[in-house]
Amino acid sequence: MRAAGAGLAGMSAAVPLYPPLSRKVARQAVEWYLLEQSGQATSDDLTASAQWRARDPEHARAWSKVQQVGQTASLLPPELAVPVLRRPQRRVAVQVLLALMAAPAAWLLVRHDLLADYRSGVGERREVSLPDGGTLVLNTDSAVDVAYGADERLLTLRRGEVLIQTRPDHAGSRPFIVATCHGRLRALGTRFTVRVDDSSSRVTVLEHAVEITPRAPSATVRTLMAGQQSRFDASHAGLPTPAPPQADAWTHGMLAAQDMRLDAFAFELSRYRPGLLRVEPQVAGLRLSGAFQLDDTDAVLESLARMLPVDVLYRSQYWVTLAARKK
Amino acid sequence: MPDNPFAPSLLLPTQLESHYRAHHGWLAHWLQRRLGNAFDAADLMQDTFIRLLAGPSTQPQTPALRTPKAYLATVAKHLLINHLRRQSLERAWLAALAALPEQHMPSAEQRAQILQALQAVDAMLDGLKPKVRAVFILAQIEGHAYVDIAAQLGIGERSVKRYMAEALTECVLLAPDLPE
Repeated sequence: MRAAGAGLAGMSAAVPLYPPLSRKVARQAVEWYLLEQSGQATSDDLTASAQWRARDPEHARAWSKVQQVGQTASLLPPELAVPVLRRPQRRVAVQVLLALMAAPAAWLLVRHDLLADYRSGVGERREVSLPDGGTLVLNTDSAVDVAYGADERLLTLRRGEVLIQTRPDHAGSRPFIVATCHGRLRALGTRFTVRVDDSSSRVTVLEHAVEITPRAPSATVRTLMAGQQSRFDASHAGLPTPAPPQADAWTHGMLAAQDMRLDAFAFELSRYRPGLLRVEPQVAGLRLSGAFQLDDTDAVLESLARMLPVDVLYRSQYWVTLAARKK
Repeated sequence: MPDNPFAPSLLLPTQLESHYRAHHGWLAHWLQRRLGNAFDAADLMQDTFIRLLAGPSTQPQTPALRTPKAYLATVAKHLLINHLRRQSLERAWLAALAALPEQHMPSAEQRAQILQALQAVDAMLDGLKPKVRAVFILAQIEGHAYVDIAAQLGIGERSVKRYMAEALTECVLLAPDLPE
């Protein structure tokens, strides 16, 4: 991937052959460009713009760059570009960057933050020991901040899914809290999993109990007992449902399915492999049961073709479609 | 600036080797912790040390020679941020593709072009204030009129114009010179 960063995208690596443009000239070029684009430029304006460009090679250089920027932007179909450019994660990087640029002292702060920050890649599982002897297991593509403070032991689940095994607090009786963007969970001496999706979070209690407090101030607090599962968003915690058997199968590298629809199964499986996994509507409703090894998702796909009347079509390693089997 | 290239320096192979021996341990640990992935960490570490070797030296007293650890940390962080940005972009890109109806799917070649343009624009927009970036996206990508953007963001039309000029100016300053 990195090697592909040539051309426009490879700016950071480019060795500057020319001195940087002056900000003033860049701004002037932009003003002329915007005037022309506005459709309100008179023929005098256009002449003046052309004269400005001809006056100095730097002007011409700035002009060709502003056109290049405009062309690059116009290559982008909004339905693909807008969600990418507006993605929330980009802010994280910028914040880190700003902190880094601030001063050498800031680097200590950031460093501290980095130490309290655990991530797992797609298809990866990581086990982390917590400062109090508890255990945190990150499922695929997950990110967690750990902050043990004076008043509470706080884990913030930024992305993905974790299993938590708490230990009694030796340094006092600080509550153990897991926060997601939808609310806070308070562990009542326990083992449980938490998963955060865009629209809601899901908690499954394996031992003891967990108390759910959605983020909205008026929301009702709900307590979940061992063997129960609940979904919650910022305003509401759903009624407990029985936890599926082997809700923590992923901690052993297994994906357990019990009479699961193929589209739901593919969605789960796609969390563990990079790229796209699509299911054609004709086969989305097929059902399957079984336990699958997550460390080789290609093999899981192969086994689907043996279990169900589907073909696995690889457009590339990163683009797979499950389609109705051709006779 | 996000894409401030750290001045490359000239190192003799033996110096590089001793730097590598002295520093690869903590750097590998630091990168792996951040990335959660030994594969990418090894890649980025490679890139970090390559930066020490790369390019002509403009200053004889390079930071790399005076304080190698701080220099390596800075280069590694710079590369790491780029890497994370690229990674989050790729994730969002795949999600956007997945959400697209099959019949609107661009060809593989178009996808490659679009992705490259997106990476360029994304890098250019990186340092901008949120409102400035929002204006650029609404105007330049979504093609909305300034009047509508002003209404949507609750700001005056003059501000929209000013933000647009600001965004474009930053992009122009970061745009590379195309080969002749």
